[in-house]
Amino acid sequence: METLQYALRKFIYSIPLLFGVTLIAFTLMVYFGPDQTYQFLSKNPTPEEIERVRSELGYDQAFAVRYVQYLGDLATLNLGNSNSSGERVTQILVKHIPVSVALALPGFILSVVLGVSIALIAAFYRGTWVDKGIMVFAVVGMSISFLIVVIAFQIIFCSFYGLNWFPVQGWDVDSVGSYLSHVTVPTMAIVFVALGYNTRFYRAVIVEEMNRDYVRTARAFGASPVKLLFKHVLKNAMIPIITRVIITLPFIVIGGNIIIEKYFSIPGIGQVTLEAIISGDLPIVKAVVALTAVLYVFALILTDISYKMIDPRVSYK
Amino acid sequence: MIQRIFFLLVALFALLTFAGCGKSDSDSGSSTETPTIFKYSTEGAPISMDPVRAATKYANLMVTSIYDTLYEYKYLAPPYELKPRLAAAMPEISDDGLVYTIALKEGVLFADNACFPDGKGREVVAADFVYSFKRMFDPDTLPQGAWLWQGRVKGAMEWRESGTDYSQPLSGVTAVDDYTIRIELTQPYPQLMYTLAMGFSSIVPREAVEHYGKEFGINPVGSGPYMMKDFTTKLAKLVANPNYRDEVFKLAEHGYRPEEHAFTGVERIEGAKLPIMKEVEIHFMAEPVTRWTSFLKGSEVQYATMPLEQRHAVTESVNPLVPKPRYREKYNSMLIPDFGLVMVYINMDDPRIGMHEDPDQNRRNQLLRRAIRKGYDWEDRNNRFLMSAGSYFPGIIIPSLEAFDENLSRDTVTANFEAAKELLKEGGWTAENLPPLEYGAVTSVRSKQYFEQFRGWMEKIGYPTEKVVYRPFPNFGDYSKAVKNKEVMIMPMGWGLDYPDAENLLQLLYGPNESPGSNAANYKNPEYDELFRKAKEMLPGPERTAIYRQLNEMIVEDVPVIVGLMRRRANFWHRNVIMYPSENVHGSVLKYVKVVPESESVQPPQ
Amino acid sequence: MDREPEIQNKEPDSAPVEPRAKRDSLWKKAFRKFFRDKFGIASLVVVGIYFLIAVGVWLDVIGTNWSATTDASFAPPSSEHWFGTNINGQDIRDRALYGTRVAFEVGLVVALLATTIGGVLGCIAGYFNRTIIDEVIMWLYGCLDSIPFYLFVAAVAFVLQGNPYAMHIAMICTFWSSTCRIVRGEVIKIRNLEYVEAARAVGVKPLTIVFKHVFPNTLHILLVQATITFVGAIKSEVILSFLGLGVKNSVSWGIMLSEASSEVSGGIFYNFYTASIFLFILVIAFNIFADSLQDALDPKKVSV
Repeated sequence: METLQYALRKFIYSIPLLFGVTLIAFTLMVYFGPDQTYQFLSKNPTPEEIERVRSELGYDQAFAVRYVQYLGDLATLNLGNSNSSGERVTQILVKHIPVSVALALPGFILSVVLGVSIALIAAFYRGTWVDKGIMVFAVVGMSISFLIVVIAFQIIFCSFYGLNWFPVQGWDVDSVGSYLSHVTVPTMAIVFVALGYNTRFYRAVIVEEMNRDYVRTARAFGASPVKLLFKHVLKNAMIPIITRVIITLPFIVIGGNIIIEKYFSIPGIGQVTLEAIISGDLPIVKAVVALTAVLYVFALILTDISYKMIDPRVSYK
Repeated sequence: MIQRIFFLLVALFALLTFAGCGKSDSDSGSSTETPTIFKYSTEGAPISMDPVRAATKYANLMVTSIYDTLYEYKYLAPPYELKPRLAAAMPEISDDGLVYTIALKEGVLFADNACFPDGKGREVVAADFVYSFKRMFDPDTLPQGAWLWQGRVKGAMEWRESGTDYSQPLSGVTAVDDYTIRIELTQPYPQLMYTLAMGFSSIVPREAVEHYGKEFGINPVGSGPYMMKDFTTKLAKLVANPNYRDEVFKLAEHGYRPEEHAFTGVERIEGAKLPIMKEVEIHFMAEPVTRWTSFLKGSEVQYATMPLEQRHAVTESVNPLVPKPRYREKYNSMLIPDFGLVMVYINMDDPRIGMHEDPDQNRRNQLLRRAIRKGYDWEDRNNRFLMSAGSYFPGIIIPSLEAFDENLSRDTVTANFEAAKELLKEGGWTAENLPPLEYGAVTSVRSKQYFEQFRGWMEKIGYPTEKVVYRPFPNFGDYSKAVKNKEVMIMPMGWGLDYPDAENLLQLLYGPNESPGSNAANYKNPEYDELFRKAKEMLPGPERTAIYRQLNEMIVEDVPVIVGLMRRRANFWHRNVIMYPSENVHGSVLKYVKVVPESESVQPPQ
Repeated sequence: MDREPEIQNKEPDSAPVEPRAKRDSLWKKAFRKFFRDKFGIASLVVVGIYFLIAVGVWLDVIGTNWSATTDASFAPPSSEHWFGTNINGQDIRDRALYGTRVAFEVGLVVALLATTIGGVLGCIAGYFNRTIIDEVIMWLYGCLDSIPFYLFVAAVAFVLQGNPYAMHIAMICTFWSSTCRIVRGEVIKIRNLEYVEAARAVGVKPLTIVFKHVFPNTLHILLVQATITFVGAIKSEVILSFLGLGVKNSVSWGIMLSEASSEVSGGIFYNFYTASIFLFILVIAFNIFADSLQDALDPKKVSV
């Protein structure tokens, strides 16, 4: 109950944030965004036809009017239809978000689990060649551009020139087998790129925790280092780890992974949104921006609540 | 613990890898079963499948697969010869060329769909055509094809101006009875027949439009060979329409000539009931490499365009197309010309380079344009980026049209940097007084390469590097907006012909069509306009051809546009696919495609 | 992951900051420590070489032949074209050299401005902690953080499409927030230190305190943040060029890699190898440099 109240209060506090995000996004992407007028006109349009299309798209109205209308639409959950295809925006979200999630989640989970595991090893052997070796790999991994990784992996694993094990493109998923075959290479690319960052981050967090007095004291009293690592250090390092995980989640749901989706021709929400921004399909852009902001706020609240669960001493102030 | 985590991870990776292998193994097996799916691919995706908005070749592909038009191009003779599709026969045309009477096939049904009572498709009648035609003049549908009939079909504009009331008649298009349509024109329009084969003139049921409202564009309901099963921005799945009328393929009706078509094995579908394949997948693949790699896999798409970078790996020669033995064995292939051209408009409205009030300046600007044209190296463009497979020609009329003039001098399409420098000198142009050239484009890696090549040529004719400026736009919409507002100086563009008549090209420089119309060069020459108006209403014949050629020469003289090049793409398809592909916008070939078991593949000629 | 340029504090906590008097010795100590770090020196040398290349291009001494086209498409490496040519017959060596200049332009402009903005706003927010000013600044970066990075950058780049610095501006708009967050946290600690409280007590104006007494104490953070931002900016440039939002009238490694993405499958690797290697070496050198710098400047920090 206390938690619920807290969450509610937090949500109310975050209304200015939602307001800000929608305002910034609206100004940038909608008001100054691309103009679709000529995409809807025939080859030899008359000035009246041009006016007609502009008013149909709402371009002829004042900024404030359009923004207020947008907020009204959001408040009533009336997301409208895509300008281009006419499809309902809710339908588009329902169709494409699960694809992005299914695409990005395995890579995300693996990169966190692997990152924490490797970080634990590095921290455990801190200062030895094991640690140094791991850190060198982490820096190398961090320094390779994502684009290079994607190009190389597609050629190595998916093409006729390489191993040719996995499909090059598409997202024709109807069974566990087909899912795995489509998701494996993107997952490997995501893990490859994220692992360096994650390992360094988690190692820093864990080492920091290991330097605390209680660990030193326990060690001095002869506690088993392995047990100490898992029972206390990892548990206490959970807060930064969880924060990072939860804050990244909304971007997986919505942002998708544009490069992967583009390169592997996967119909995820990231590419749908990017295309909508490029072509100026405002209803989609508006919905996605609002949704990300809301999810972000939820993630913030969730992190606070999870702190409490991990460490009951944290209070909701 | 650490060990356990590692074990788990290793196991997970092994599982993923195993699953991946398992999948590709099971797919490549079984070569004797009759395939039921054809996997087609295109480089772009349709946005809306509402016929009134089928302005792109991708939308047109979908629309003409799902809807019926009155006429269609013959499978093996696109886009020149028409045959009846939903019409029972070719039209009866009155002697003055103003009244067309078209009989419809009887008993044709729309596909079953929830928009009809009981979900059963009803019969297609003449009133459906009238309704569909009216939609093109209803601004609420955001139509894109009205310009084809505007001012030519009687009563169309009046119907629109009187408030687009569908219960009111549109005098020029009427249903005489359920199976007879009458179209009345205000002036002879010899190209009308062609427009009736375009996706724009597809026949839609009113029930579907009203049932789906705004979402009609992604819920197409027609009487054509296929129905939409599933649609995303990457993939459309079509299934055969069980209500489709009995259409049987006959080689004789489709312009079959063995010497041209036998290599595709197309004679093996003689007598087949259309559509042949139960299911068709259309993959929309913007990345050319992804598309090609997918094609080579065998289990994925069965039709693709060879990317430029692959030409040495895949072919011995591109023009004529000779794939290397390894590829020839597995794939059939063909060079397919675009039915259109690429060109570079020059904004004649811009006093720095276009027409000028001061006759002296006007003359200097003309020399500047001629110098740029003289530096524009079509051969280099063709060799570097188009695998030497394109053909370039003077004037705007493409070689596949009857009005093309073989005797026109090729001097204007042959680059000569020295001659270009001479022209600049003659006009008194120096590195200091030359105007900056703003080169517009839709942003992409390729258009930047085109620009850098263009800048390279301009450097060679003495243009300072920093005066050749790249002006990329994020999307085609923004580019065309800038073009329509006359803001771009140098405009590389392509044009796909709507029908096989040079009028469709010459109207691109007709004064009254200036921006925001399709005259992007904003060329205004009263003499040209006068002649064009005269030719527009003439029936095909030597007299009209002579005028067309005269117009073409004016374009060469004044250089409102640097023309032109017709591209050819090297397209490949699997040997177990029987098809004669087409890359133009004139209708879908999907219903004719047959995929056979691999054991029965079309063999390469020895 | 989603935000490839990870620019963030690797540290949940930071060490307390010494008062001003001790600061000089901090820098001196850091300087000594840094020069004992072999990796740090090596990486600094590599970065220095790149910087010299960039300067050379600025002065029109090297990389001058990046735009001229020749007849030889995809010519293999030779004495004339060390790394071969691209489709337009342009020299890939000179394009890569020119790309170094563009990388430094992007990196320096973005790093300088983003850290400055982040630093100043962070100081103000931290000093006026729990006031409306703090709230507004936190609100601002909260908003920016909750818009997916590439979508935001794409939108800014489109808004400013005519502007040659559209990409730079877009990155600055997003990258300042992480610096701001870190500096704010640091300043909250500093403001409670004795010397600041003393200054407040004798009536020094708040803004004077912020800029004369607080801001200088965050410089070591800013330096580290700037190097991290630099790396983030040149890595983002690659992705943005691939999405068609990169530099316009010149050439960059990102543009070379986008060209390469279609060439590699045809067995043409000149662009791919050259640009990847140029990019990789600079990025890894900068990453190591940033680490060494951090070690040197903040002895209590966990060394990586």
